[in-house]
Amino acid sequence: MTLLAPALLLGLVALTLPVIAHLMGHREPQRVRFAGVRFLEPVERVVTRRRAPRDIDLLVARLLLLALLVLLLARPASVGQTSVAVIAEPHDAVVVVDGSRSMGLEVDGASLLVHAGDRIEALLDALPAGSRVGLVTSDPGGPRVEPAEDPERARAALRDWIERGAPRPGAWTLADALPLAVSLLSPAAGEERKRAIYAFGDRTAHGLGSLPETAEGGIAILAVPAVEEADLPEHVSLDEVSWEQAPDIDPRAVRIQAVLRRHGGAEDGERTKRPISVALLVGGEEVARTVVQVEADTDVQVEFTHQLLDGGTTFPATVQLVDLEDDPLPSDDRRHLWLSPDDALEVMVVNGDPSELRAHDEVFFLGTALSASESSTSMHVTSLAPDQLEQRIREQGASALGDVDVLVLANVRAPQEDVAPALVGFVERGAGLLITVGGRVEAEPYNARLGAVLPLLLREPVVVGTAPGRKEARVEGIAPPDLSHPLFAGVEGDPGLSGTRARKIFLLDPDPDRGASIAISFTSGAPALVTRDADLGRVALLTTTVDRDWADLPLRPGFVPLMEHTIAYLAGARARALGATVMVGQPRTVEADAPLEVETPSGRKISIAPDRDGLAVFSDTYEVGHHRVLRADGSLVRTGLFAVQVDPAESLTRPLPLTRRELEGERKNVSTITPRWRSLVPLVLVLLIAEVVLRWRRRRG
Amino acid sequence: MSTAPGQGDIGGVVPSEVRELLRGQALVLQRPVWGPRHGRHASVRTGVGLDFRDHRPYVPGDDPRMLDWRAIARRDRLVLRQTESEDELSLFLAVDCSAAMAYGEGESNKAYIAGAIAGALALLAIRQGDRVGLALGRAGDIDASLLRPLGGNDRLSAIARVLQRDEPAGLCPWPRIIGRIAPRLARRSLLVLISDFLDPCGHAGEEAEAELLRGLARLRARDHDIVLVQVLHRHEVEFPWANRTMIRFEDARGVREPVEGAGVRLRDGYLARLRSHLDRLERTCERDGLFLHRVVSDDPVAEALVTLLGRLAGSPPVRRPLVEGHP
Repeated sequence: MTLLAPALLLGLVALTLPVIAHLMGHREPQRVRFAGVRFLEPVERVVTRRRAPRDIDLLVARLLLLALLVLLLARPASVGQTSVAVIAEPHDAVVVVDGSRSMGLEVDGASLLVHAGDRIEALLDALPAGSRVGLVTSDPGGPRVEPAEDPERARAALRDWIERGAPRPGAWTLADALPLAVSLLSPAAGEERKRAIYAFGDRTAHGLGSLPETAEGGIAILAVPAVEEADLPEHVSLDEVSWEQAPDIDPRAVRIQAVLRRHGGAEDGERTKRPISVALLVGGEEVARTVVQVEADTDVQVEFTHQLLDGGTTFPATVQLVDLEDDPLPSDDRRHLWLSPDDALEVMVVNGDPSELRAHDEVFFLGTALSASESSTSMHVTSLAPDQLEQRIREQGASALGDVDVLVLANVRAPQEDVAPALVGFVERGAGLLITVGGRVEAEPYNARLGAVLPLLLREPVVVGTAPGRKEARVEGIAPPDLSHPLFAGVEGDPGLSGTRARKIFLLDPDPDRGASIAISFTSGAPALVTRDADLGRVALLTTTVDRDWADLPLRPGFVPLMEHTIAYLAGARARALGATVMVGQPRTVEADAPLEVETPSGRKISIAPDRDGLAVFSDTYEVGHHRVLRADGSLVRTGLFAVQVDPAESLTRPLPLTRRELEGERKNVSTITPRWRSLVPLVLVLLIAEVVLRWRRRRG
Repeated sequence: MSTAPGQGDIGGVVPSEVRELLRGQALVLQRPVWGPRHGRHASVRTGVGLDFRDHRPYVPGDDPRMLDWRAIARRDRLVLRQTESEDELSLFLAVDCSAAMAYGEGESNKAYIAGAIAGALALLAIRQGDRVGLALGRAGDIDASLLRPLGGNDRLSAIARVLQRDEPAGLCPWPRIIGRIAPRLARRSLLVLISDFLDPCGHAGEEAEAELLRGLARLRARDHDIVLVQVLHRHEVEFPWANRTMIRFEDARGVREPVEGAGVRLRDGYLARLRSHLDRLERTCERDGLFLHRVVSDDPVAEALVTLLGRLAGSPPVRRPLVEGHP
């Protein structure tokens, strides 16, 4: 600990002033020679000459106040010697600052970013003369300063950035900011100077933990933590919120689940529990509150059940941690979502091979599976014939499928040429498409008309075991599926598809350029269920029938969950019409045929225009909270409600171990000055208030 | 020694308007007196006057000239005719000239009022041929040079001179004054004590104060008329320091410890204790037959004197509240 202005300690001499004032500063009272003194009750002892100061408590408060003020002006600071190593010869440098949300963690009365700023100031002071220094942050809206000999530019830009409210959610990782720093350090022709990147941040995966040892071009990266302390203060974050309808309780009831996590808090290896209050706010009013005990470094799930009021279709809701005023990272204490009593997934099944005998109907098993699945309550399944679909598209154009989230073509002959582009466009704008094959599916027309979105082009149907040299096996089994495929998100263990026997399958043309991924394959290696992202939409292709014509897949216990997951995966392409959440910084795409306005939580209105594909992209998603997309007439766009959330990854503050790279050649250490006077300010304020209160009480006597 | 103009002239003590007012007044007592010489006060003794009082049987030795022959003729026995007699009055003035009486400015100065009342009473008495004695308590001592009651203009001048001579100072030794006056009181004298009676015995305490009043009661029992003229300043009655300003109250007599504090914090207690003290004094005087007359500084002295004379002559007392709102 040192003092930046030790001379100001002379001000401590002023401490004698209150003592003298309390000894002598007694106002001379008015003197009255009076006959009736015997009737006066002494309320204060009359002191003709003071030997001891009066009002000791007031004197102590004043002395402390004065001493602290002097100490504050002398600016105590702690000096670190080893934290920043600077190349001793003149060089080009770029300071990369972590602007991620975790840098907002309050440590010793100031955020990590402010601490990092102090260290950067020390570094800028210590750079050898002739060095050039620039500045880059991982905040997409942060400052960029080209390397210059005057460090003042970088210093001013940094100061300005912090004053503008940094850090904010939605920052890149430090590694993502490196290319920018490297581009600023590209050497001029014929110049041979050392180059270095000084990275300042916290030791999280978003911050210094993301950095490689060297940047492109062999530029050394020197990671400097914002603070040296290994034990950062604990904080609590709300990491996830989700909701679903709860028709078992009430048609308008919803269940809201939240996951909160306590980061840190283990003291001396003991995992103590801490009570945390969580509240649910619907429409701005608190409707429920609960208290959960959270162990150190663990997650806890909280579930609220709420019945939405009649008369509304959408409700802005917020789950927030309450009574956490001392949380050092408050930016993750609340999460937003939109609730709706009738938010259902629209699934349209086109039945290519209907039958009066239900068990022989192409979509009998599919329909039964969807209605039996756990998510059936949030799914509207409609069924129609291929002719009806084509007729509707011809009549209504693209809007015929406007409300549909997932379209299932079950053993449907290839759509007509005039209709196919509408289907392709439908998928590319973000819808889901499931194609199951069968006797009516022909490869060529399909490839020609829907080839743009097919995961892989169809080749031909084959009866298993008739291939040349394959006589011993008459059926195909299903190989253990690839559970890492996003379609199986949340599935653990055996998906229940083993034992499936397929007699006939559709072979596909392998084409690695199409970017298809195989979710399920047959034991022979032929793909059984293959998916692909087609622009904004998703397509899945089942290479056997969805009924029992070619395989006995519908009889397997895993069929119902498989169909449910497939539909959910395809619907995920189009974020759910309501309740959609967007991470900070991620763009939100909505279908649009005219310019739209996005209303942000703060009431700002931002215009967005649709592109040629009828999609409007809103990319300024840096404001956390409820957003609404409105048409010019003020009406709400169907998919126009979304909530912007902070990234829970930015709430992780547990420091990662860092391997510090040793500098080659000459180097020198820098004294980093960490100001300690800031923590004195609240104390001074408290003493000031105490002094005023004591003085007021004296006056009131 | 003061050399104020008009020293030795009663006009320097008694304001002119008071003297004008007293021109038609007389110092008359309700009860008869017993003076050594003939005067103008009704005497308890029969005398040689013209006004008939009573008959009484003749006893040998009576002056035969006093026989009422007509009555003897009617009653057939010897009776004497008795007539009313008038004696002179012995007035003793005891004036508090302690520093406590120095409070007040100009005509509201307590010592000035006390001097005016004493001078006026002396003027009235000497003008009607009575004898006046004066004792002054000042600086812990007694000025008893004029204690022997005498009449005449010389005595009046001497009284005026003594009253004007010294500024109030120190304390007034009331018990000693009473001790000095008591042996000199002839039969049925009038003793007038002029003071504020707020703290007559200083730190000697309430017991000494009660003893002082008992001493006066004993004099009253010997048929003297005892009058206590209590001169108070309006400030002493109302305690006008009602704000938060710090005030240090010092005992004018210098016998009590000073008290310091904000007026607003002292006022209520002061008024309550003053009220209690005044009530106790009134009750004691009423019980013991002492005559208490209270004068507040802003009352006109002339009015106060007329009231006092009226009451001495037997008028009923007019009770006025000292402080508005306090009966």
